[in-house]
Amino acid sequence: MSGTTKPFRRNNPSGFDALLVLLIVVAAVVAAFPLVWMVLSSFKTPAESMQVPPVWLPKTPSLDSYSEVAGVINAGRSFWNSAVIATVTTAGILVTSLMAGYAFAKYRFRGRDALFALLIATMFLPPIVTLIPLYRLVTYIGLNGSLFGVIVPHLANAFGIFLMRQFIAGVPDDLIDAARVDGASELRIVFSVVAPAVVPALAALTLFAFVYHWNTYLWPLTVLQGNTDDYPIVISLSRLLSYNRGAMNTHLVMAGATLAVLPPLVMFVLLQRFFVDSIVSSGVKG
Amino acid sequence: MATMTRSTITVMLAPAVTLIGVFILVPMALTIWLSFHDWSTQTGFETARYVGLRNYQDIFGPISVGRDFKRAFVNTAIYTALSVAIILPLSVMLGLLVYQTRVRGGHLLRAVLFSTYMVPMVAVALVWSKLYSPAEGPINQMLGWVGVAPGTWLSSPDTALVSIVFLNVWQQVGYFTVLIIAGLTQIPNALYEAARIDGANPVQEFFGITLPLLRRTLLFSAVIAVINAVQVFEPVALITQGGPAGSTNVLTYHIRRVGIERAQGGLGSAMAVTLMLSLIVVVVALFAFARKGERE
Repeated sequence: MSGTTKPFRRNNPSGFDALLVLLIVVAAVVAAFPLVWMVLSSFKTPAESMQVPPVWLPKTPSLDSYSEVAGVINAGRSFWNSAVIATVTTAGILVTSLMAGYAFAKYRFRGRDALFALLIATMFLPPIVTLIPLYRLVTYIGLNGSLFGVIVPHLANAFGIFLMRQFIAGVPDDLIDAARVDGASELRIVFSVVAPAVVPALAALTLFAFVYHWNTYLWPLTVLQGNTDDYPIVISLSRLLSYNRGAMNTHLVMAGATLAVLPPLVMFVLLQRFFVDSIVSSGVKG
Repeated sequence: MATMTRSTITVMLAPAVTLIGVFILVPMALTIWLSFHDWSTQTGFETARYVGLRNYQDIFGPISVGRDFKRAFVNTAIYTALSVAIILPLSVMLGLLVYQTRVRGGHLLRAVLFSTYMVPMVAVALVWSKLYSPAEGPINQMLGWVGVAPGTWLSSPDTALVSIVFLNVWQQVGYFTVLIIAGLTQIPNALYEAARIDGANPVQEFFGITLPLLRRTLLFSAVIAVINAVQVFEPVALITQGGPAGSTNVLTYHIRRVGIERAQGGLGSAMAVTLMLSLIVVVVALFAFARKGERE
């Protein structure tokens, strides 16, 4: 972005600038409003959250909703389950993607491009298309109703392989050859030579994978069946809606939602610059 | 680029290929196979009984199985078309706003827009169900301030599906805005300079340079937006359960209900195959449309 001319960017009167600022502020406020409302409502009393017309700012902000959530659902356990699912799945994806991405980027073998194309095609397959037999398959293996069943099927994915291949292709062959001359095994090269050279891509993949598997709902709901002990936070959260149905549950739902949103948002704040960079290179230049 | 021994290549690829093979490719093949069989999801695959095309005849037939499926199919098509039709133009507008603006708010806007994409869909659905609440929700209150009559949102068959489209747009638009910004950075500034020397105005620049050169980005965005849209599940499962009056019964919800909850694995698989074939048709059509534009 070195140029001075961008679309519409000319030496125009400051009135145009003011309009742009206004548009940006409006867009940001509209985008942020639901989250702000969520947090504000979590501090309201049950009566306040049901008042007509709605109250915007709680008169006496309280954390009571949060302790009530902890009593209605097993929030600590659910948080732990989500953390296990997201962390273990992400670790698996990092390892499998690094290895396969390295092979596709740096090895020559028969059928390579066809195999790569077949794997990449799975990236565009909505999970519902394979859900029914997958559910049965996982039951066969004996993993249904457990966290293993949630995690194991997702330890590798096409997007990770694609992203790693893109970035590993840019790692100089000389670097890898030098390690080979030193007698390093190929596995050692992947994890101690290639991986350090693609840290930004690994950070982006960590964020993608962690957020996706923290948030995902359809598969855990299907595979865990009624095993409430292993429910991740998003499934436990959904049960707040049916708690005390029709009565005052808004403050509870909002407190629960605020808690569930925090880990992915924190991840995003920490790693967002990698996220944006990798979208640029994976999505468009690819 | 090195030629390795077969065992080295196998070691590198085995984990990923085995996992994707067993948990995606095999189930994909099974879905197609099961769609020609009568099979209860509660029993082993060996109990499947071959029935030819009967599942397909049923899901497109006049009985209730067919009526429900066709309704879900149409709902999903409407939902997808609306989502894409709103997300793409909106993300282009927001992308231009963030990219070309000289004020500092641009980056902040991008961060705020993108943060909504991090929010679990379950939380989005729950929070929006309260925002839409007819009496104690803030949306109708704010509409009242500007003199607009309160909406029925999720509680009326006429507005429920569109209400879910809006919350989907809110969650997704930031991701597509980032894609568009990435596309904008690829357009050479020299083109705009040349156009300006020729006396082009901003509108001509947009339609003559920006939009044509964003074609590949827009094609990619459209494909992703379609594939994301057909996955809509949480708002329907949590809030509307397909209602009111079947107006929000969408395919992901319907296929799961038939194939898992009612254990009609054969019927559900036929629906899943139909969804996949429809997606292929849509994606091919999008590519053809983009190529046609390129030639003109």
